Amino acid sequence: MIRVDDLRKRFGQVTAVDGVGFLAADGAITGLLGPNGAGKTTTLRMLYGVMRPDEGRIHVDELDAVQHPQPAQARLGVLPDGFGLYPRLTAREHIEYFGALHGLRSAAIARRAEELFELLDMRAIADRRTAGFSHGERTKVALARALVHSPQNVLLDEPTNGLDVMSTRAVRSIVRRLRDEGRCVLFSSHVMQEVSALCDAIVVIAAGRVVAQGSPDDLRRQTGRDSLEDAFVRLTDLGRGGR
Amino acid sequence: MTVGRALAQLVIVCRKELRDSFRDRRALGSIVFSVLIGPILIAFMMNRLVDQQRDADTLRVPVVGAANAPALVEWLAHQDGVDVVDGPADVEQAVREQREALVLIVPDDFARHFRDSEPAPLQLVSDGSRNDVRPVVQRVRALLQQYSGEIASLRLIVRGVSPAAVQPLALQEIEVSTAQQRAAQILGFIPMFIMVAGFVAGMQIATDSTAGERERGSLEPLLVNPAPRGAIVAGKWLAASLAAFLGVVLTTLLCAQMPRVLPLEDMGIRLDLDAPSIGNILLIGLPFCLFSASLQTTVATLARSFKEAQSYMGVLILLPMVPGIMGALYPLGSAAWMYAVPMLGPYVLLTGVIGGGVPDIGALLAMAGTSLTAAAVLVHVTTRLFRSEHVIFGR
Repeated sequence: MIRVDDLRKRFGQVTAVDGVGFLAADGAITGLLGPNGAGKTTTLRMLYGVMRPDEGRIHVDELDAVQHPQPAQARLGVLPDGFGLYPRLTAREHIEYFGALHGLRSAAIARRAEELFELLDMRAIADRRTAGFSHGERTKVALARALVHSPQNVLLDEPTNGLDVMSTRAVRSIVRRLRDEGRCVLFSSHVMQEVSALCDAIVVIAAGRVVAQGSPDDLRRQTGRDSLEDAFVRLTDLGRGGR
Repeated sequence: MTVGRALAQLVIVCRKELRDSFRDRRALGSIVFSVLIGPILIAFMMNRLVDQQRDADTLRVPVVGAANAPALVEWLAHQDGVDVVDGPADVEQAVREQREALVLIVPDDFARHFRDSEPAPLQLVSDGSRNDVRPVVQRVRALLQQYSGEIASLRLIVRGVSPAAVQPLALQEIEVSTAQQRAAQILGFIPMFIMVAGFVAGMQIATDSTAGERERGSLEPLLVNPAPRGAIVAGKWLAASLAAFLGVVLTTLLCAQMPRVLPLEDMGIRLDLDAPSIGNILLIGLPFCLFSASLQTTVATLARSFKEAQSYMGVLILLPMVPGIMGALYPLGSAAWMYAVPMLGPYVLLTGVIGGGVPDIGALLAMAGTSLTAAAVLVHVTTRLFRSEHVIFGR
């Protein structure tokens, strides 16, 4: 479970995140929806401890993630925006590296790696170096290394960006599976359809503020629009101060 | 998070960086090159020196008009290592074009003057601007003076005068700039080559694991792991240090093989890198490697891109070369303060060990103390940089 209260972050004159607050529950997929530059990535970066918020509180499973980032990070699996791989290491070695950093024993890592290869259908590329992997294959490796320690909370920053249909489906099925296992899944996207198809709860962010949150039906009711896309556009405009 | 856990993470990062870098052929190539370049250059210079000395041993004296002074020419030809040949027709041209180092001309009136006990003219043609032939000209001049002296003595004896009477001075020349000394100068480059090899060998990991990691976008996922930044930075630093140390070890072992391959004995040079000396070299090399790797990781972390980091490395590599070049130009000596200067201390100590000495414990501790303190400060600075969002995201 992830709880965020009144999170703020400024870069010089620009306020990137301006009082964001939401709750992402266990056993649910929470979508962080917003146009590019709305503050989604900055919010996530503060959640997973590579940026310090100027103000606000973050709790990961009741742990204060601002005061104690490392215990919180131990409970997070993260697919960051623009993840990078090591071209000279194999897919398996990526998983081993991150598993070891999480303090797992090598036997446990080996077992978990096999599960992940199965789950992500990547047995064929398991022992190949990642140089020359397709975008879909790279995403799978990054997902596998993020999930090596079976984290209770999973943060995915635009995981399906640039993926083909097959890989997108694979990612979505993983996300659902994680939710069904009772985990808390928080993922960001700027794609309306994806969020509405996948999410149990939606947090709409625009210009660094939460402009609406609730289930897809809630959002339609709030805005009085029939289609979620119209609702999204309306909400985004409101966030920007439009009418 | 316990200290033990952080140490384990440090080792994990270090192992990964080493494995990653040893799969990088270009990185390996640069390590091999940096290790080989020193011993190869030294071997090349040594062989040239031996050749030059061999050339100097057989003195080629082209003589024009040998028929005018058969006794002189015969005397010359009988001297050790002197080879008298017919001189060229165009004497000055030949010397100017460096076809001949020198030419001895015996004029037609030599015999007449000689018979009359007058100074008999001889012309020694050489190019005074050529440093390389100066010893040869010197030797020929000395030979001619020796001949002149012998004839003078004979003439005095014939006239009943002791030759000693006309020698108020007995000058003995003692030449110190021998080939042996030049060989010692060449071996004086060994400390510099050891240090440069260490520096270059650590460079790849230092840049690739910091500036390279960020540029690949793999830094952000790495920092999401529950590991203290200090452990991650120290792991990268240790990996670069170990690679640097590998460079030092390999260069030292290669240099220890040089007496077997090079004719050092013939040059009268003693280079005896036995096991204790090698141990001392490595003892001096380790703090040096830890320091230079810390400097490299800090500078590479500050760089805005991998390319920029690499170009900084190109400048940094001058640091381990400065003491070596200075040492070749002016004798540095070994003042106490030198040991406390990170790049200079190891150089002075290494020079002592290569020269067959045993390093002073106090000097060794002073060197290790300052190098390790400086390294600790730099690793701390890099850790702070790794906490900065500007550095992580390259803003």
